[in-house]
Amino acid sequence: MNGSVATVGRDIGRILEALGGLMLVSLVVPILWGEYYALPALLVSAVIPLGIGWLLYRRFREAEAPGRLHGMIVAASGWLSVGLFGSLPFLLIAWSVQLGVPESAPAQTATLAAFTDPLNAIFESMSGFTGTGLTMTDNEEVLPRTLQWWRTFTEWIGGVGVIVLTTAILSRPGSGSLTLYESEARSEKIHPSIVSTVRTIWWIFILFTFISVLALWLVGMPIWGAINHAMTGLATGGFSITDNSIATYDSVAIDFTLIPIMLLGSIAFPVHYLILKGDLRNFYSDLQTRWVFGYMGIGSALLWGFLYYAGPYETAFAALRYGLFQFVSAATCTGFQTAVDATNVALGRWPSSAQLTVAFGTFIGGAAGSTAGGIKLIRGLTLAKGIRYHIADIFYPESAVRRLTINGRRLNEEEASREFMEAAIIVVLWITFLVLGTFVLLLTLPSAEYSLANVVFEVASAQGNVGLSSGITGPESLPTIGKIAFLFNMWIGRLEIIPVLVMLRTVLKRGGLYT
Amino acid sequence: MKLSDVPVVSSVFEAGADNRVFDLLLLLGPLVIGLVVVLGRSFVTEVLAVAYISVFVTYTLYHGMQSN
Repeated sequence: MNGSVATVGRDIGRILEALGGLMLVSLVVPILWGEYYALPALLVSAVIPLGIGWLLYRRFREAEAPGRLHGMIVAASGWLSVGLFGSLPFLLIAWSVQLGVPESAPAQTATLAAFTDPLNAIFESMSGFTGTGLTMTDNEEVLPRTLQWWRTFTEWIGGVGVIVLTTAILSRPGSGSLTLYESEARSEKIHPSIVSTVRTIWWIFILFTFISVLALWLVGMPIWGAINHAMTGLATGGFSITDNSIATYDSVAIDFTLIPIMLLGSIAFPVHYLILKGDLRNFYSDLQTRWVFGYMGIGSALLWGFLYYAGPYETAFAALRYGLFQFVSAATCTGFQTAVDATNVALGRWPSSAQLTVAFGTFIGGAAGSTAGGIKLIRGLTLAKGIRYHIADIFYPESAVRRLTINGRRLNEEEASREFMEAAIIVVLWITFLVLGTFVLLLTLPSAEYSLANVVFEVASAQGNVGLSSGITGPESLPTIGKIAFLFNMWIGRLEIIPVLVMLRTVLKRGGLYT
Repeated sequence: MKLSDVPVVSSVFEAGADNRVFDLLLLLGPLVIGLVVVLGRSFVTEVLAVAYISVFVTYTLYHGMQSN
């Protein structure tokens, strides 16, 4: 058992070192924006995970490479640690402004003051790293630029993955990196070497980020907004630096530029790689990519129909503009919002049929191996094909040899059953925790203030790492137990549940609570 | 000393799609965005941004059609 602690401790140490490095890099932002008062708090925030990470790594440097169990525990505890330590910039900057230390600190705002509560700071950090986008701020515009950046940066890093980042920067080949990589809800490799794979993932992601920033700036978004929204849009995270999300700009050009950016984020990195290598056929030959477009197309068309014929928009174009954006935003699990009362009709006042369509979009999500959340398209497709396969089985003689084809792979009966079962387990667990989260929220929210649909929508949004809100999430409106429950929902949603359950079972077993 | 021996450049060349045009776009990206930040919105920066995106889109399509 001590060997396990050493292996996990060593890898958590590496993750914390990487986190500290990200905070050190972020010191550039307060310097460039002249927010010098934020420098000490950000520096201290960086030194803490760096120090702990360095100690852990130094202490357990010689530990064995992680096995499958260790990989899952590292993934689960690593993401939890990153959520906790990633909250330090929020907490310390909020307190330094609150206490007026240093003297150059500006006056406190209600928005920033919310982060003096550690739970709110942890919530924001976990929401950022998991790419959820639910927020404890009530007006992002008044946040210091340093924290606007940190929120964006957490989503950008979290979109690709904390372990992918750590492996790219700090790991050596052959050190169990593949096990860790697979534990972070990724499976496909681009190159035989896992370190080359993760470096290529970052190569693609950074290139797409530059293109997205320039595209948004060209269509009229100010450069600071373009940098932040390109990063959170591509990471399908959804944090914004404005109070009304993308609706603040009220620009058709910006809306339609963000749609392909969110779609890019919901396509698997191996497919991006093949397309950049010149194999454009992957746009339609890859099952998940084909369905990214098919699913978005069908869902958007349906939503457009509900909004135009039964809904609040008078012109077909307005219904198309808001319907298409909101469905893509929900289905890619981004959570950007253009449907607000300030410029048109808020999503919460759309007809029920339209709201349900958006909610369903969040359930499936994007492609596995992308930055998107949800149960993933490949699982939805495996379930649908598996159900058809098993029903059709009755019509064949027992001696018949049948194959199930998924994404060009011909699976025999045993393989088909295994893949179907794996997909079914994730979906059942996903729904189980959705129901549990809903019960927790119903018990803790003031009665009659929110409908059941509101509550289910909010929990699904947290667990699917989407970030669209029916108005429940907020520093005051969400009770403490609700915040803790959402932290759990976001955490399991990002890691696709199993690693967290494995970690909890291990911890409880060691603590004698589970035998 | 060759260009590919420079630390950041070598990392960019070693990763990715093994294509110098995309590598170059990745290396020039911070420069173009930096110019936009420093110079603001002007004819020159807009042309630069349009050129950057056009090269990416056109080359991706061209490269794809050549490969097929």
